[in-house]
Amino acid sequence: MPAGRGGHTFHNQEETELAASVLAFSATNCSDETARHLGSGCGYPAPGFPSSFNYGPLFRIGAFTFNKPMLLATICAAIVVIFFWSAFSKPKLVPKGAQNLGELGILFVRDQILRPMMGKRGDGFLPFLVSLFFFIWIMNIMEIIPVAQFPVASEFAFPVALMVMVYGTYNYLGIKHQGLGGYFKNMIPRGVPIGILGILAPVEILQYIIVRPFTLAVRLFANMFAGHILLLVFTLATWYLLSVGIGLLWSATSFLLTVVLTAFEMLIQALQAYIFTILTAQYIGGALEAEH
Amino acid sequence: MADNSSNAGWTIFGYLISGMIFYGGLGWLISRWTHITAIFPIGMLVGLGVGVFAVIYKYGRQ
Repeated sequence: MPAGRGGHTFHNQEETELAASVLAFSATNCSDETARHLGSGCGYPAPGFPSSFNYGPLFRIGAFTFNKPMLLATICAAIVVIFFWSAFSKPKLVPKGAQNLGELGILFVRDQILRPMMGKRGDGFLPFLVSLFFFIWIMNIMEIIPVAQFPVASEFAFPVALMVMVYGTYNYLGIKHQGLGGYFKNMIPRGVPIGILGILAPVEILQYIIVRPFTLAVRLFANMFAGHILLLVFTLATWYLLSVGIGLLWSATSFLLTVVLTAFEMLIQALQAYIFTILTAQYIGGALEAEH
Repeated sequence: MADNSSNAGWTIFGYLISGMIFYGGLGWLISRWTHITAIFPIGMLVGLGVGVFAVIYKYGRQ
């Protein structure tokens, strides 16, 4: 299937191109995307949605199909569990090896994310935040691991599932610590004249109930989705432009950009995991606080 | 609690969207009820205005 095939007109145009290429090169097969090159007349196989995000089932259990993103998420969870298990199953007073690395990670989450947002009484949420941070980070890193090469969070359901967990946690804590009435009362800003309050209150409540969790999930999803497309564009272009002549120079430029963008994506991956976790800490901290 | 700057942008975005969803939705319901189509876009604009006002109210006085 050629990617990015829009409607019927485009389809026709593509067929015209195909006919032209058949005339010109007589033996070009456009249905094979990996064989497309500059000058073959087939056109650049642009990445897009859903063609670059569709994975067929690896296996089925009844109506349930298990695909590559699910497999990657499972592997990521296993990596996090196994790493921290091996780091802290037999803790030593003087840490070394995996324990050293694990302590570094936990201290980072505690001192950079948890303490500034929640203070000392939020320490009970350290395991939650540590697992959230490392799970998201490893999931994002899958974007640039060879063979995997798919950021799991670019399937919207995965960030939504994480968001539902966070949303449930801070709403439960907010209602538990502030009471149902107090929880909603604390959403509305203080010291506002009653006329303005009537206008602002629905907006504030909508912001807290719907828009805030939605943006939490969308931010992670959109960054990973865009990153995946960005890397695909230049990786595919490197291959597509690879030909004798001037195309070789373009291909080399595209390859250079792929390398630069891979480094850039590594930054984004860590940053998005950090932002998701720090916002979780902030929301839970806000729910624990009776007055804000 | 410390409102970190990376979140401030998204909170502002959230206010604008929330205002438009609420007052736009209200306008849509009224326009369906009264069959006056102009009320829906007016509601959207009012929502945008309220969103901007909420942002100014929350961040403009710091």
